[in-house]
Amino acid sequence: MINKFLGFEPDKDKLPSLTAKIGDDIDLSSHKYQKIWLGPNHPGVTGNMAVELWVQGNTVVKAKTHVGYLHRGFEKLIERRLFVQGFPTSIRMCVAEPDTNEYLIATCTEQLSGYDKAVPEMAKWLRMLSLEMARLQGLLRGVPGQGGTFALGLGVQWGVYLRDLILDRFEELTGARVYHMYIIPGGVRGLLPDGFKERMEDNLRDIDDFIIRIRKLMFHNSVFKKRAKGLARITPDMVDKYGIVGTNARGCGVKRDVRKDHPYLHYDQLDFDPPTDTDGDIYARTWVRWQELIQTVDLIRQIMAKMPEKGDIKAEMPNVLHWKIPKGETYVRLESGRGEYGMYYVTDGSAKPRRVNLRGPSYTHAIALLEDMLVGADVADVHAIMVSLQTCPPEIER
Amino acid sequence: MKDLIEKLTEDFKISDVVYQRPDLAFVTVPKGVAISLVTELRDFEGFSHFVMMSCVDWIEEGKFQLLYLLHNPKTKTDVGVKTFIDRENAEMASAHHLWKQVWTYQRELKEAFGIDFPGSPRVDENFVVEGWTEMPHMRRDFNTKEYSQNTYFPRPGRETNDPAEYMRKKLYPNEPITAKKQDNDK
Amino acid sequence: MSLKDILTPFTAWSKVVKEPVTIKDPLNREAAPRYRGFHDNDIDTCIGCGTCEAICENEAIDLVPVDGIETKDGDSGLRPKIDYGRCCWCALCVDICTTNSLRLTNAYKWVDTDPDNFRFVPGVDEKDWYKREEGWRKPEPNYEFYGLKRVEMGELHPEEREDSFVEMIKGYSKEQAEAEADRCVECGICTATCPAHMGIPEYIKAIRNDDLEEGLRILYDTNPLPEICGRICTHKCETVCTIGHKGDPLSIRWLKRYIADQNPSEKYKKILETDILKKNGKKVAIIGSGPAGLSAAHYLVLLGYEVEIFEKLEKAGGMMRYGIPEYRLPYDQIDKDVNYILSLGVKIHYNVTVGKDITLKKLGEDFDAVFAGTGLHLGRSTRIEGTDHENVYQSIELLRKITQGEEIYVPEKIVVIGGGNVAMDITRSLARLQNQKYGKVQVIATSLETEEKMPADREEVIEAREEKAIVNPGWSPQRIEIVDGKIKGLHVVQCLSLFDETGNFNPQCNMENKNFFEADMIVESIGQGMDVSYISEDIKEHLELGPRGRFRVNDYFQTSLPWLFMGGDTIQGPDVIHGIANGHKAALGIDKFLIGE
Ligand SMILES: Cc1cc2nc3c(=O)[nH]c(=O)nc-3n(C[C@H](O)[C@H](O)[C@H](O)COP(=O)(O)OP(=O)(O)OC[C@H]3O[C@@H](n4cnc5c(N)ncnc54)[C@H](O)[C@@H]3O)c2cc1C
Ligand code: SF4
Ligand code: SF4
Repeated sequence: MINKFLGFEPDKDKLPSLTAKIGDDIDLSSHKYQKIWLGPNHPGVTGNMAVELWVQGNTVVKAKTHVGYLHRGFEKLIERRLFVQGFPTSIRMCVAEPDTNEYLIATCTEQLSGYDKAVPEMAKWLRMLSLEMARLQGLLRGVPGQGGTFALGLGVQWGVYLRDLILDRFEELTGARVYHMYIIPGGVRGLLPDGFKERMEDNLRDIDDFIIRIRKLMFHNSVFKKRAKGLARITPDMVDKYGIVGTNARGCGVKRDVRKDHPYLHYDQLDFDPPTDTDGDIYARTWVRWQELIQTVDLIRQIMAKMPEKGDIKAEMPNVLHWKIPKGETYVRLESGRGEYGMYYVTDGSAKPRRVNLRGPSYTHAIALLEDMLVGADVADVHAIMVSLQTCPPEIER
Repeated sequence: MKDLIEKLTEDFKISDVVYQRPDLAFVTVPKGVAISLVTELRDFEGFSHFVMMSCVDWIEEGKFQLLYLLHNPKTKTDVGVKTFIDRENAEMASAHHLWKQVWTYQRELKEAFGIDFPGSPRVDENFVVEGWTEMPHMRRDFNTKEYSQNTYFPRPGRETNDPAEYMRKKLYPNEPITAKKQDNDK
Repeated sequence: MSLKDILTPFTAWSKVVKEPVTIKDPLNREAAPRYRGFHDNDIDTCIGCGTCEAICENEAIDLVPVDGIETKDGDSGLRPKIDYGRCCWCALCVDICTTNSLRLTNAYKWVDTDPDNFRFVPGVDEKDWYKREEGWRKPEPNYEFYGLKRVEMGELHPEEREDSFVEMIKGYSKEQAEAEADRCVECGICTATCPAHMGIPEYIKAIRNDDLEEGLRILYDTNPLPEICGRICTHKCETVCTIGHKGDPLSIRWLKRYIADQNPSEKYKKILETDILKKNGKKVAIIGSGPAGLSAAHYLVLLGYEVEIFEKLEKAGGMMRYGIPEYRLPYDQIDKDVNYILSLGVKIHYNVTVGKDITLKKLGEDFDAVFAGTGLHLGRSTRIEGTDHENVYQSIELLRKITQGEEIYVPEKIVVIGGGNVAMDITRSLARLQNQKYGKVQVIATSLETEEKMPADREEVIEAREEKAIVNPGWSPQRIEIVDGKIKGLHVVQCLSLFDETGNFNPQCNMENKNFFEADMIVESIGQGMDVSYISEDIKEHLELGPRGRFRVNDYFQTSLPWLFMGGDTIQGPDVIHGIANGHKAALGIDKFLIGE
């Protein structure tokens, strides 16, 4: 209405048509294009990453992902450290869910040294609890965060508050809020503190409430629907072509979940079914994540109900200062909030790993896939698309 | 999985099969057939999901070990196809045509290990270490610690003492002792 | 797009009337009880082992000297200093801390304008968070970074050993030795306490690396009698072993034995690279082939000296052979160590008593220097009534005879006076002989000291009892009852204390509480004295005396007669490892004296 009054008609059909064949080599000196850097310091960018955009008018015609602003050489650093010294370094490879890294390092070393059978029951349940808590706090940020990319900031505030409550639980369980350093080769570093379950249950009840509210706020929201539906669509045939995993794949109906496909820890003892949707657009992906939020809350309840009351937390293992692992290699994966998250781990018989290589979902989602998906998109949608793929730069550059 | 690998062994000159887990096997093939095996696995054996590509530097043997890790979503199994290439003038046929994300891996391996993949898109573009002038930083012979010591400025004033050596100086400076052996753990 | 989709989001307004959830005072929020904040260290418990430094993946820890903390046995005197520019609060240092002294408090706020303040020694530099009880401590239960339990050593059962002199301790297998070696944290605290300052962490590491030849080389750096020490060393090192603070100390002695046992004697020369030794043309005489003499001989011959040992008895080894019983130290193991030393070209003259068959003076003239390691071979007597009876014996005299294969008097009832290791050795030897002769044991060992204060090693007492000997401590012998020229037994009274306030030996007894131990034979085992009759008066007058009636020697065990060196039991100890250390140091002293630096 107001636009009409101002004489501005936001009807793209009336704009001059694109003169470039999308994605082609672009001659900036023709003055028909403009180059925009989104990031590395931009509130809409998830972490320190930049997207270099070539635009004509509002439309992206070419995009390039740039990482490296956060490269710390963790894989190399872990190669130069004892097996037990790896996990405090590893967590920084993914800030969003640091626990996944700890789990992978621990499991790789255990599998290669044969101590995987020795990990106590209690430790397995606690590992699962911390991994699901990590997923929960990620979703509490991620689900409303998608609304945030369309300027719906309120849900983000709710989510961040609740996430902080989960971080409180992490703090009392692991001794830290973000970098938990809890899962260690052989086990975990602490039992549940007294009253933990009750406090957790209180938080989960608040989250139950939030889940309903965020549904009303985001998913029955005309603006969100209008912008998110049909945007950045992933189709099932793209899944294998690009190596798409996790909720990005489940959003278009390709049901892949490491917890089901390769059950680890005690996931086979939990009752759950990974949610899926069919549309494959941002709305569908976010909707899957919203359902996953419900499911994660439920999983945490199941874990707390099923886990033993007490037990050993760590296997009896060799002296950490001299621990050598025979030559070997393995690949261990888990289902992180962003999908298959894995680690290729090579040992050479010495006291340190020969090679540690992380496989983060963003490695494909935020480069090959994102670059292709952005072509043709509106500039205003770029970071919505980026967030919808759950881009996490630290796991790309490590 | 055993059947599958046995079936392919002859055609692809597979050696060194390791069944790391029931759902994970590593096989080694000559450099020349690696990409063909990967293609075969993708197109005919259902290994449609490309998990990752990686490299291990076996500097002692003068070899890089390349790994193509493939996943079969139906059988829920993984095969790691390994091949060894010379460390000197390292080069490997590109697999970027098989999956969309492969060129990213190849670009990283070029930067991090110095392995060339002729024909792979943007293989010469910097990946994470823009403006890097040292040797490829993931090679075993690149010494991170030395690099950081030469590049950054540690605050002065750090000094430590080895307990045994300190006690010797304090308590029995003139006694015969064992010559301290080189510490090969560290 | 339905009207519902426009209206529903407005439900969010219902939050307007809700209480805000923000923390009222965010600046003073208390962290969780397990929170990993700044370090604290219980400075009196910490021993400066540096294990925290070894595990820190960020090299955030330095070990620094601290005023007022003394370097002493079992404590390096160093304390960890943390650099918070590097620390990532992982608390691995806490988890591994060998004394549990280190912890992280849950203090996490600290503002300072001087970056150097963020490097401090926890527990020493005052910080206001030390009073906090909360924070990270080593997790429980069963959360260990190294093994606390000693790998058990196989032994003969009491029934198998009570009538036999076969070696009792079986020795570690490869797996056992490697598992035991794995527990070491390589701090090296033990090295200072070992009288010979052996490279303990180094040879333990050689076991871990399964490089036993390297292990043997390390042993011979400071100890040429590893088979012997690997069996009977007093292992003072184990009393300070860092691992002993939370668990069992490393079995250092058995590990040493493992290395020696695994290397066959034929290969010693090759491993130790002693096939060809240079000669320097100088000659040294050594009196006595105990550990002190053998050690001096070994290091002297390596230095190029021609060495001749003069030994009173018919075999080499001194008290190691003639004192220590065979079930603890088999003769073939003594031979293995001794023969290697002799194979290096050391000459030995058996059955030559210096002072009788050859004078010390003559040795002084014929040789460039003399080292005397003559040991303590005179038994001491309680001198109570009846000790002049023929069936009152000295323990070392009996032990020597047992070694020499002489028939000794073994009646059915024996009392041993003494509570030290020698007393246990004779008690257990006699018990074996009684068992062989009568099929039963009736030997009582009694001492002034009470059970807790008995100088003998605990396991010696336990094992003696397992072998059915009676150990009944806390009695003061009064007189030996003799009827018709035959010993009937020993009268004792309860002993209350041994030393007076000034610390002088002055036993106090409760004369009311009496006891009588029946016996046909009494063995005295209350210590040995030295026999210096081999030193003629004209030499003796040049020798200064030191504390406790011993001759004065300098740091190199040189007496006030520059050509005469002395070591072993007559100077220090008494134990084998001191003898070895003395002999080694004296060898270096002789070299310094004859060749100069
Ligand atoms: C029963 C017993 C058990 C022991 N158990 C242990 C133990 O478990 N662990 C331990 O560490 N220590 C033990 N000891 C102590 C240890 O044996 C001595 O401390 C050590 O042997 C002393 O060494 P040395 O070289 O000073 O003298 P000795 O070993 O006593 O050697 C002295 C040598 O000199 C010879 N000699 C003396 N005078 C002359 C002379 N005039 N001419 C020629 N030769 C002469 C002697 O015959 C003898 O061979 C034990 C001692 C005894 C008695
Ligand atoms: S590990 Fe513990 S005992 Fe050893 S130096 Fe560190 S704080 Fe002290
Ligand atoms: S907490 Fe971790 S990083 Fe900090 S000093 Fe201890 S071991 Fe080092």
